[in-house]
Amino acid sequence: MISKNAFTRFMTACMLVCCFLFSGVEVFAQKDQVPTDEAIIKNGESLFKDWGCNTCHAVDRKVVGPALAGVYDRRTLPWIYEFVRNSSKVIASGDPQAVAVYNEFNQLQMPNHDLEDNDILAIMAYVKNTEDNPVVAAEPDPNVGGEVVAEEGAIPSEYVNIIIIGLIVVLLLILLVLAIMIRFMQRYLRDKKELSEDDLEIVEEKFDLVAFIKSPTVIGIVTFLVIALAAKNVIDGLYMVGVQQNYQPEQPIAFSHKIHAGDYEIDCQYCHTGVEIAKSANIPSVNICMNCHSAIKTDSKEIQKLYAAQESGKPIEWVRVHNLPDLAYFNHSQHVNVGQIECQTCHGEIQEMEVVKQFAPLTMGWCIDCHRNTELNTEGNGYYDKLVEMHNKVNGEKNKMKVEDIGGLECSKCHY
Amino acid sequence: MTNRLKAALTIFTLAVLASCTAKGDDPGLEYAPQMYHSVPYEPLTQIKDKDRGEWLSNREDGLGEFYNSNPNNEYEQNVRVPVAGTVRRTSNNVLPYRLGKDDIALAAEIPNPLPDTPEILAEGKRLYELYCDHCHGNGKEAGKVGVVFAGVPSYSSPAQRNLSEGHVFHVITHGIRRMGAHGSQISPEKRWKIVKYVKTLQQQ
Repeated sequence: MISKNAFTRFMTACMLVCCFLFSGVEVFAQKDQVPTDEAIIKNGESLFKDWGCNTCHAVDRKVVGPALAGVYDRRTLPWIYEFVRNSSKVIASGDPQAVAVYNEFNQLQMPNHDLEDNDILAIMAYVKNTEDNPVVAAEPDPNVGGEVVAEEGAIPSEYVNIIIIGLIVVLLLILLVLAIMIRFMQRYLRDKKELSEDDLEIVEEKFDLVAFIKSPTVIGIVTFLVIALAAKNVIDGLYMVGVQQNYQPEQPIAFSHKIHAGDYEIDCQYCHTGVEIAKSANIPSVNICMNCHSAIKTDSKEIQKLYAAQESGKPIEWVRVHNLPDLAYFNHSQHVNVGQIECQTCHGEIQEMEVVKQFAPLTMGWCIDCHRNTELNTEGNGYYDKLVEMHNKVNGEKNKMKVEDIGGLECSKCHY
Repeated sequence: MTNRLKAALTIFTLAVLASCTAKGDDPGLEYAPQMYHSVPYEPLTQIKDKDRGEWLSNREDGLGEFYNSNPNNEYEQNVRVPVAGTVRRTSNNVLPYRLGKDDIALAAEIPNPLPDTPEILAEGKRLYELYCDHCHGNGKEAGKVGVVFAGVPSYSSPAQRNLSEGHVFHVITHGIRRMGAHGSQISPEKRWKIVKYVKTLQQQ
């Protein structure tokens, strides 16, 4: 009993001392100079957003720049004003705190912000308010942003499977019922005494599987099917000689088009810069990768390969997927820029591919087929006006001018 | 016996033909391989293996038929970087942009050589959507990549909205702070078009 009392007294004393200590700190901190007025906090919040402070700073964590919580304890207010308005000047003056923070954040300089002392103080008020009343981040709603939206009108593939399985089960049930019915009929007929000899034979007939298989009809049908299938395979196989469709080589870096072009919607041309202006679409060099990966996924093993390549200057040897034979000429700009063909027309759903795969057969038949069927869009190009007029006069309005009509099937367009 | 032989032969032929088709790492069987492989140096391709295609080679230097690589270039590449200081010839006689990364104050003075026409603005928008919007979004809020990259400013914030066209052009060319240089991806003319569109985003 006594010991408990002593303990309580000791704890109370400790708490008092603590309170005194901390209140002492607060007396000397600038925290008190930071206003707590509601209106000023509101103003600070809107300034924080309007001036884009939030692009580089958060209150509770590092973003691009340091976390702002407690900054009024770490620095004097005049220092903060000066740094926000012209950080490079403060750093150049050799201020140790400024130089330290500059070096800590990869020598990244904060841009100048032409703000009054009062405005900066208002921002501090907002920061302090947020620090004291942290906002609990809402749990992201799992239903939002997922693959919820199914195509309207189309039946999802899983339902198709279920429907097919259901149908098969129904068919099997019908067969079973039929078999049972036959059984019953046989038994019923056998019980009847007035059957003739011939009828009895039919009723008593046993199904002989071996005889059935060995019958010339069955052997004939099976042989025909086997030969037909084999012939089809042989012909298909012969047609695939020299066609590299479905070629999907492993690349030196596990680059995913699905993440870049699909999830993050980076346009193809951002990396394949030549596609509108040149024969080849170009494989991006490391400096293009580094535009984003200087800061994104820097710890990944695959991204480390980029850093190694940048450091050594040794280019990454990507494996070429589309190998058009040397005898055929193909120009990307002609198709993408002039013809306005989507990349996906020839490369498939590239934004869904983890590893790139050759989608099109790239055979001559495939090229020609497209040249025969693709209508020309000559709108706004006066060069074609007269040609279109003449074409329509000869072929009728319905037969629009196609690529083949302007020499798309000439041998020397692609082979020279 | 003959029947079995025939069956085995058929299966063997099918297996051989199945291996002709391309899948995974295997490009499949080539028809007339000498017509597929380039004799001159082929850019964006290099086969450094000197023995590749030796079995059908009739090259005078005794190397494999498919060997295609320039040993005089760095890393035996078929392509090479232009000599430093190379000036690109342009159809409209626009002089090359010579200001270095640190000349940003000087760059801000340069006016946009392009006129204000709706066509140029529309083209600028198209190019902005190709090269910029995955990070900069609609100019106010960061795009999908920008959110992950962090630190992407809004064009219309007071610190950004009055930056001159020359400044924006310079930033696209050489990058600024954490943004990388995009001069190698976008030609000067296209950059000026993008600048025209960014100008409208600053005012939103």
